[in-house]
Amino acid sequence: MKRIVMGLLAVGLLVPGMARAEPGLGAPAPAEADASGSDVTEWDPWEGFNRKMFWFNEKLDVYVLEPAGKGWDWVLPDPLQRAIRRSLLNFREPWVMTNDVLQGKIVAGGNDLARFLTNTTVGVAGVFDVAAHWGLERNDEDFGQTLGVWGVGPGPYLVMPLAGPLNIRDGVGYGVDTAARVWPFYAPFLVSAGVTTLDTVNSRSLILDEIDEARKASLDFYVGVRNAYGQRRRRQIADSREVDTYDAEDLYFQTD
Amino acid sequence: MMPRICISRRTSLAAAVMTAVLAVSAAVATEPAAVVTKLADDVIAVLKQDDLSKAAKRERLERLVLASVDFDTLSRLVMARNWTRLSEVQQGEFKREFKRHLSATYGRRIDNYQNETVHILSTREEVRGDRTVKSRISRGGGIEDVLVDYRLRQHDGEWKIIDFIIEGVSLVANFRSQFQELMSRGGPDHLLSALRKKTAEEEAREDAV
Repeated sequence: MKRIVMGLLAVGLLVPGMARAEPGLGAPAPAEADASGSDVTEWDPWEGFNRKMFWFNEKLDVYVLEPAGKGWDWVLPDPLQRAIRRSLLNFREPWVMTNDVLQGKIVAGGNDLARFLTNTTVGVAGVFDVAAHWGLERNDEDFGQTLGVWGVGPGPYLVMPLAGPLNIRDGVGYGVDTAARVWPFYAPFLVSAGVTTLDTVNSRSLILDEIDEARKASLDFYVGVRNAYGQRRRRQIADSREVDTYDAEDLYFQTD
Repeated sequence: MMPRICISRRTSLAAAVMTAVLAVSAAVATEPAAVVTKLADDVIAVLKQDDLSKAAKRERLERLVLASVDFDTLSRLVMARNWTRLSEVQQGEFKREFKRHLSATYGRRIDNYQNETVHILSTREEVRGDRTVKSRISRGGGIEDVLVDYRLRQHDGEWKIIDFIIEGVSLVANFRSQFQELMSRGGPDHLLSALRKKTAEEEAREDAV
């Protein structure tokens, strides 16, 4: 059960979308949810285009990324893959911290800074998440969430080639995230492209089964992914605001 | 005259005792968090039994899950306003097919138990009386934890699960969006046949493994 949901979410991380720390994703505001007439249907005026792009990304995954991930998985033991992932995530901590601060979460920002300093040193360039053992848990923040916390609505759902599911707001956020993550390290293009590829293939190899399960079990994979993305994003932003942006009660009492 | 009074007195006494017993058992046995803890413990106990065949494991798991899930409510919630678009026969068929679908898709990976442990974090009372039990499933070995919430509703004094929310994604909402799509494409018949087809594929896959 959880595996399949993780798979639906994980599609959100496919391809450069992997740059996102966790299953990181996007979300419609209540107004838009109402406009569509249902709390579970994301606002998707460009569905025709999106479905084509989704199909393209699926093919790309099946023929390129999944085989690459499988190859990687065959070569490298899982613990090593996870170590690489942790290390790459570690170098995003400064940007996570920045987003926490931008959202007014100063304590969380301190947590992120402490994590970065600890894991970069004691944790050997982030290979070991020592900070988590000390109770400093990783926060999952990105600029799309920050925009959401500032009150920017999600806009229409959007699937772009080579990217996971997005909406307009998170697309902008994703652009900012990418720039902000590369810039502090003054990495030349080839290096950052190499790191992105490594991250993408490595992350894909960690979720081979999840994606496979979700793909095969879904009745409409496109709709399943779109919905999971929307729910997840709403939750992430709501957690930041500490209020529920959409009324879950509706979901549980709307039976006739 | 006399015997009648006796009977009614006896029944009312019996009713009072029954009520008291039910009230006590409701208060003791069906604490929402306890329902989730028990389910998690029971499921893990079955998963750990190496001597059981996969089929036997799956049968036991199915029974455990069905005992703690209000499947009737869950089916209605998943269909939402489409529920009344189904005839009574179709509703029954939907419940059967949906159950089979869940069992086929989620029952497949049960050989894959990796010492997951379930920690109950908290219980929240919802506006209209439901409870949400929050849990964290740890897998250890540097793998990230998974947050799972269980929504429970009380029915006849018993708390039962009506939704699983995994990393913020409600299963009810996710299935609802997919069923809604199928309903708007081809109505109840299309939905039921799509569901049947998918489940058949899953079951074929399972036999092949």
